[in-house]
This record gives sequence, structure tokens and C-alpha cells, in this order.
Amino acid sequence: MRERLLTTRSKIIGLILLILLFILSLYMSIQVGQQQVAWYVMFDALMEYDPTNADHVVLYHRLSRAASAILIGLSLAVSGAMLQALTRNPLASPGVFGINAGALFFVVVAISFFSIQALTSLFWFAFAGALLAAVLVYVLGTVGDEGFSPVRVVLAGTAINALFVSFTQGLLVTNEANLDRVLLWMAGTVANRPIEVLLPVIPIVMVALIIAALIAKPMDLLHTGDEIAKGLGQRVLALKMLIILVAVMLAGGAVAVGGMIGFVGLIVPHIARFFVGHQHLWLILYCVFIGAILMLNADVVGRIAIQPREIPIGVVTALIGTPFFIYIARKGFKQS
Amino acid sequence: MKIIRLIPLASILVLIGCGSDEPTTSDAGQDTEENTESYTVEHSLGVAEFEEPPEKVVTLFQGANDTAAALGYEPVGIVESWLEPPVYEYLREDLGESTVVGDEIQPNLEEIAALEPDVIIATQSRHEEIYEQLSGIAPTVVVDELNDFKMTLDMMGEALAVEDEAESLLTAWDERIEHFKSEMEQVEEYPMTRSIINFRSDSLRLFVGGFPGSILEDAGFEMPENQQEAYDAEEAFIELTNTESIPELNSDQFFIYLQGNQDEDELDESWDLWTEHPLWEELDAVENDQVEMVDEVTWSMGAGYIAANEMLDDLYEMYGIEKE
Repeated sequence: MRERLLTTRSKIIGLILLILLFILSLYMSIQVGQQQVAWYVMFDALMEYDPTNADHVVLYHRLSRAASAILIGLSLAVSGAMLQALTRNPLASPGVFGINAGALFFVVVAISFFSIQALTSLFWFAFAGALLAAVLVYVLGTVGDEGFSPVRVVLAGTAINALFVSFTQGLLVTNEANLDRVLLWMAGTVANRPIEVLLPVIPIVMVALIIAALIAKPMDLLHTGDEIAKGLGQRVLALKMLIILVAVMLAGGAVAVGGMIGFVGLIVPHIARFFVGHQHLWLILYCVFIGAILMLNADVVGRIAIQPREIPIGVVTALIGTPFFIYIARKGFKQS
Repeated sequence: MKIIRLIPLASILVLIGCGSDEPTTSDAGQDTEENTESYTVEHSLGVAEFEEPPEKVVTLFQGANDTAAALGYEPVGIVESWLEPPVYEYLREDLGESTVVGDEIQPNLEEIAALEPDVIIATQSRHEEIYEQLSGIAPTVVVDELNDFKMTLDMMGEALAVEDEAESLLTAWDERIEHFKSEMEQVEEYPMTRSIINFRSDSLRLFVGGFPGSILEDAGFEMPENQQEAYDAEEAFIELTNTESIPELNSDQFFIYLQGNQDEDELDESWDLWTEHPLWEELDAVENDQVEMVDEVTWSMGAGYIAANEMLDDLYEMYGIEKE
């Protein structure tokens, strides 16, 4: 795919526009809701937070949601970009790779068998599950005579995904008490996540993003093919391991915070590539902001569409993502 | 307990018996075992045919378990309770000998068949798909609405050929309700609006209709506008996950219960999340200290005649009204 923004200058302008759009989305997400809150209250709440003031508390909750949405959005988007680069498969994403399902399964195990409730501990389970699923998929997609093939990775991912989802369902059927809580998790949600619970996840996401930025250049080479990359002196295996690690850290963190939120990791890298092509540093930067913008707006839609009820954010992203997925899949077939 | 419940019932029966010319097919028939008068019961999924009034009863939903006890039956088979398994504490004395044949959603057909029942009481939303198998085991009567205790009582009265008892229980209920409502006239705010709120670990459910809704409607409580709209749209509850939605809960009187099958710490956390929100303090019921914690089992799960009466007992107590 030929990118639309060819020069560095246009890419920078594009990035600035994205940042402006991000700020606007953040403002909307804090301003829009069932309760009317005057815009200037935002400053009062920031300066001098008063927990007995309804407006302040409303704003605090909205800010917490926004923070979750941003964190999840950018994590899934970058994770998807990494996996698509790794497999050279446009349909790769944390969801298709089974990472979400692996993380979910481990979380359900933690809740059911170890009665763990704290989000901070659940994160480590999500992380372990994500890692296990990713390694399984990668190994399944790589072993055999033909070696690594994108189609086999997707098949392996689908199989692992189905495996973990059915494990999860099996556990839930035998333990109905946890059903409600986990169901909302399976649909994906950012409701009632106090900003504090994000704190342990933030450093992990930051570290993952830094690693991603550092390996962006080698990833450009990897895109041209394993052989060429190897010929140019890349340690391909180590690079691939790093890519998986980053993808898992990001997706695991996102699942721990918000549950199964699909399609963000699939569609955002495509949107980003539409603008900046395969230069991974730019791709990652664009993914960060587009992912955050998408999630912020999906959350606003989910909150106001059927109030006072809410549409779980994972359902909103699926509504946007499904047609997009079909579009990419069809386009992919045409090209090949 | 059972005997006490049957005394007023029996006296009413005598009165009714005097007034009617028709031969009754109730207790007397069962005792002599000579009554072979066959009858049929029409219900939403078909017609159940009975050679004689059944004795061995299997009840497949909570409301039917309760109603069987109210009618003085101890079913041979019942379904497991959602909480306090295997049988709700308020029914244990009455249903202590009954065999549990699985839960409401998946009753065990083999166990039911092994009990060789004379009648099975099922409900449409739960058992429509196994209706054919159930009627292969015994004549099966399907109650349309599992939360409508009057309908359950009415249809079980027909199925067990104890219409008169069912009728007199309903009369007794109506009298209690009339008494409660006339006493409530003294309460200044009456008739007030009400909210039935179910605290869950991840959300609140504002129940608009259902079993508790029907009892409170009988008792003269009203729904706020937003709940009425949801009710008219045939929604059982409004699920709230966003604390900004707290004003949706508003009404004069709150009845609250915590979801019993969830982790206590999580429920505490959820309780704090909602009730420590400044918007909570602005709710009418909270401002006027009209928040009552109620028993989840009798208020939301029992769904039968006995549970309804226990709910009414609670209401009497809450408003400090002497029972009749």
C-alpha cells in the first residue's frame, strides 16, 4: 500500500493534526454525559478537587474512563501494528492472535480459583495468559516443513483463540457466581475503573512503547523479508521475540484494564499505514494517537447512545470494526 | 407453620363450601380415593389431562415450589433454589422431604421420571423446549409467567384440582392488601413512588416490574416516570453501570438488596462506589431517610404466595403498621 503522507514534513503536520484531534476527543469525553457540567468546572476540579461536589466527582469518573480508554486504545493499536509487522499479515491483531482470549482465560482462572479481585494482581495473570497464547500461536504457526507462514499463524491464532474462549466458558458454566462480572469483562468495558488502578499498568505500557520505538528501524528491514533482514545483519529471531514481548505487554495490559476489546488492534494499524506506510516509528506514533482517539470516541458513543444504560465499549468497537475487517479481508484477497 | 397457615384457609373453605351447589373436587376427593372424575387443564403449550387429582407433584420453578407449599403440598420433586441451596430457608420446613431434581434452567429428566409424578408444574420461559419430554413423564401444566404468583397459584389450583383453596388464598391476599392500603392512608406521603434496587459487583439493576414490582403495585406504590416507561417497553430492569446515572434511581422509597451470589468485598466496593457519590445524597429517598434493605430471597427470588406474604409482612413492619 502506498502511503498518503510521503514527506517527513507532511507526516509531522499529520501528527500535529492527530494530537489536536486527540485533545478534542479527550475534551468531548470529559464534557459529554448524562450530567450537565459547565466547562469551567473542569478547572476547579483540577485545581481543588472536592469529593462532596457532584460535578467534581462526575468529572473525576469521566477522566478515569478517558484515561482507561486512552491506555487501552494505544496499547491495542501498537500491539496490532507489531503483530502485523511480525507476521506480515494484514489480519493479525491481538484478538486474532488469541492474546485477548489467553489473557481473559487466565483472569477468569484467577477470579475463580484464587479469588483474586485486585486489578493489579489480575494484570499479571492477564499478562501470563497473553504471553502463553502468543507463544503457542507463534510456535504452531512456525513449526513444520514450510516454516513460518502468515496463513498458518492466523489459523493457529484462530484455534488458540477458540481453545481459550471455550476453556473460559467451561469455567464460567461451572461457576455461575462469577458470570456477571466476567461477562461484562468479555464484552469489554471502561466503566468504573478508578484512575488509581491504571497506575501499575502505565509503566509497563511505557516500557513497551519505548522498546517498540527502539526496534522500529530493524522492523522496517524485517518488513522486506526474513532473508533480506538476515542478510543485512539483523538478528531476526531476537527481533521477533522482542516484537512478541512488546505486543504481549501491551495487549495484556489492555485486557487487564478493559477486558476483551476487539478490532482496535486490527483496524488502527491499517488506518495508520494508510497515512504513513511501513516506516514503523511513524506507524507506532500514529497508532498511539489514532488508537486513543478511536477508543475515546467509542466510549462516548457507548455512554450516550442508549442512556441511562451503556453499550460496553467492546461492542461499539466491534460495530465499527466488523465491516472494516470484511473490507480488509476482501481487499487482501483481491491483491493476492 | 403449615397448620397455622391452613387454619384460616380451612375456615374460609367451609364458608365457600356452604354457598356452592357444585360438588367440590378438593380434599374430600383425595382422601377417599374414590373420585375418578377426570378433568383437563388448558395452558399455553397444550392441554394436560388428569384421571384424578394428583398427589405426587413435581415443581420446576421457584414460584411453583413456594406455591405448592402454600397450597399445603410437599412436592416429591422440586428445583434447587438460586441461593441458600438446596431449598430457601423460608421454605425448608415445608419442603424438607422433597427431592431436588436439578435447577430451574436444567432439571434432570431422569430423576423426574424416577419419582413417577402425577403432575409436573413448569414454566414457559424455562421449559418450553423440554415440554414434550416432560409431558411424556406426567401431565405437565405450564405457567406462562414465572414471576406472576397469582397466575402460578391459579394454574396450580386448577392442576391439583384445588381451585377453592387457591381462590381462598387469593381472597386472603386481597384482604391483607386492602387492610395494608387503608392503614397506609395515614402515612402522609402515600401513595409514594418506589425503586427496587439490586446492587451487583459491577452494576446496579433497577427492577421495574417482576415479582417485587407486582407486589408493590398491589400495595399501592407507584413507579416514577422513567421506570413506567421501561415497564411499558416490557423491560424487566434498567441496568446502570455509570455513576452519572444515579438520578435515574430517584423515587420516594428505596428497597435495596445486594446480589447474594457475589463476592462480599466486591459488593462492598460497589456499594461504596454508588452510595458515596455526591449524587446519591440528592436522591429523594436518601434525603428523607426512606431507604430499606430487604431480603433478596423473599423479595426477588421466592416469587410465590408465601414470599409475597413475607414481603407484605416486611412492608407492615417498615411502616410500623399493626397487622390485622
